Amino acid sequence: MLIAHQAVGRKIDDVKQSVGNTITITPAGFSDFSQANNALTGSSLSKVTSLAHVSSLSENLTDRVTTIGSATPEFGKFGSNASSTNNTTSLTSPITINADGSGNGGSMRVFIRDGGSLPANFSLPISVLGTTTPLNVEGGTITLSSGALIDGAKDTNSALVSADMATKNNLKVGSTFTAYGATLTVAGIFTSSTKTGGNTIVVALPTIQRLTNQPDIITSATATVDSLDNLSSTTDAVKSTLGSNADVQSSQSEADNAVQPLQNVASISLFSLIGAVIAGSAIILLTMIMIVRERRREIGILKAIGASNTRVVLQFMSEAITLTVAGAIIGILIGVAGGNPVTNLLVTSSTQSAATVNTPTKATTFGGSFGTAGPRAAFGSRPAGGFLSRNGTSLKNSVTNITTNIGWSILAYGLAAALAIAIIGSACAGWMIARVKPYEVMRAE
Amino acid sequence: MIKVSNLTKTFQSGDNVVTAVHNVSFEVPAGQFASIIGKSGSGKSTLLSLLGALDQPTDGSIEIAGHDIARLGERALVRYRREKIGFVFQGYNLIPNLTALENVMLPQSFGRANSHSGKTRAMELLDQVGITGDKQLRKPGRLSGGEQQRVAIARALANRPALILADEPTGNLDSETGKMIFDLLHKLSRSQETTIIVVTHDLSIAGKTDKSFHLQDGKLISKK
Repeated sequence: MLIAHQAVGRKIDDVKQSVGNTITITPAGFSDFSQANNALTGSSLSKVTSLAHVSSLSENLTDRVTTIGSATPEFGKFGSNASSTNNTTSLTSPITINADGSGNGGSMRVFIRDGGSLPANFSLPISVLGTTTPLNVEGGTITLSSGALIDGAKDTNSALVSADMATKNNLKVGSTFTAYGATLTVAGIFTSSTKTGGNTIVVALPTIQRLTNQPDIITSATATVDSLDNLSSTTDAVKSTLGSNADVQSSQSEADNAVQPLQNVASISLFSLIGAVIAGSAIILLTMIMIVRERRREIGILKAIGASNTRVVLQFMSEAITLTVAGAIIGILIGVAGGNPVTNLLVTSSTQSAATVNTPTKATTFGGSFGTAGPRAAFGSRPAGGFLSRNGTSLKNSVTNITTNIGWSILAYGLAAALAIAIIGSACAGWMIARVKPYEVMRAE
Repeated sequence: MIKVSNLTKTFQSGDNVVTAVHNVSFEVPAGQFASIIGKSGSGKSTLLSLLGALDQPTDGSIEIAGHDIARLGERALVRYRREKIGFVFQGYNLIPNLTALENVMLPQSFGRANSHSGKTRAMELLDQVGITGDKQLRKPGRLSGGEQQRVAIARALANRPALILADEPTGNLDSETGKMIFDLLHKLSRSQETTIIVVTHDLSIAGKTDKSFHLQDGKLISKK
């Protein structure tokens, strides 16, 4: 239990630093399109970077480009739509759309109202994400399969494309394509587990700001906070910094959901530990009382031939300590062997029960995670969201994948607990020893 | 020199007050071998535990080498038992987990004796009482009653006590072995200059001691 407690405690700290400790900043009113021109600017966000507990800030600008010569239905406009009218590309989306509902293979289904049909030359628009942090986009991490990352702060004509996109358009590292009338070079190819990710080009933030003629404009930003514990206070700080220009949302509930099962295990193991110490003390106490009663005569003899109370009590205490330390060593050996499976069992069963209970909310709080990323994100309908969607499965793995290891601190705590048990357990026996009168023992011959 | 004056010990037994030792006075000069005889229940064992500072008297005084042990505190009593008294019991009362040698070394370990000289002395004492060779390394369970009592006597001598108190030391032994143990005690009282007081109901033993006190119902009825 001690081992489980320590492992889970460490994991909680770990999770608090890595999971759900993000604050999402979007332009105010963005989500209901009521104030579409109220964009964020890089200069206002620079104040956020300097706030305490903000360990990093990812700024993004998203846009869409359509394949040259294709017909595009209007899906709605996002952000400042003052972008260049020349928002076309030579690339074709890897996702094909079947309007008749017979989608199969890697294609998607689209249902069009009133029995309409898609134009024959329809091609899905491609998301373009400009970001300052290509490595860590929207809480997800890019996995490069070839090439190199781009520098998110530098305005270059380099881009990262998804593996699906590269296959569809015969791109390799070093290949070029056009977008916004400019020629971009493929710097790297990444893999994405989602359709949206597969339909995305990643460029540096200054690049897309230049190409779309939206200097200093940002459609969303994600601030990472150093620990979950500071999330709520930092969220408030960001809100007051940005004022009414921005919607600031934290993933507090998501993070709480992630940490809750672990905290349950931590408290279970803590209470079990306390229970074990109490039970151990009681057992040693009863054993010592039994030993003292059985060896009353021996105690009487020792006292008769000149042993002091202290001396006899110390002898019995050292016996108790020897017993418990031997027990502790055996216990530690068993803990080394069984700590990992037991901790994982505890955590797994706890997180599973939590997932079962919270299934309906999980779907929303994890952005469709813990299950499928869902086709709804495929059109890039969320501003920069859904891209490399925060993968619930990997979060769950990070929560459940706990390894226990035995450090010196564990050994020290274990031995200290054993000593405490021995001393508490034999204290009462010591009092009994002090009361043994040698003449009573002698007379009972 | 042991001087017992007006020693009284009473016990509360239910509603009755039992007087186990009633106004007993006697003296034993240093280096003498004395016996206390009496029937069972006559108070002789109680008298012995008073002399051995295992119990405190209700009244009276026990002077040993000028100190009244009836007035000593708990710590001083422990010290007195350790340094001035050696006990020999009817049931031997050796520590069963320790070897004969370790049993003899035990009282010295309560003091500040160095363990090496303690071991040497213990071996000498065991040799004197006739426990030799590998018998010294046996545990009490593997020694005969007579041998165990010899070990107990060696243990009683370990701290060079002024007084050895023996409670029925031959009570559990056959008459032949009992006589050998008695002779051993007698010899030791001479060679070690130790005062020995033996409690017994064996009149043949009592007849051979330097002094003999006869107890009946807690009272001393005759001295020799």
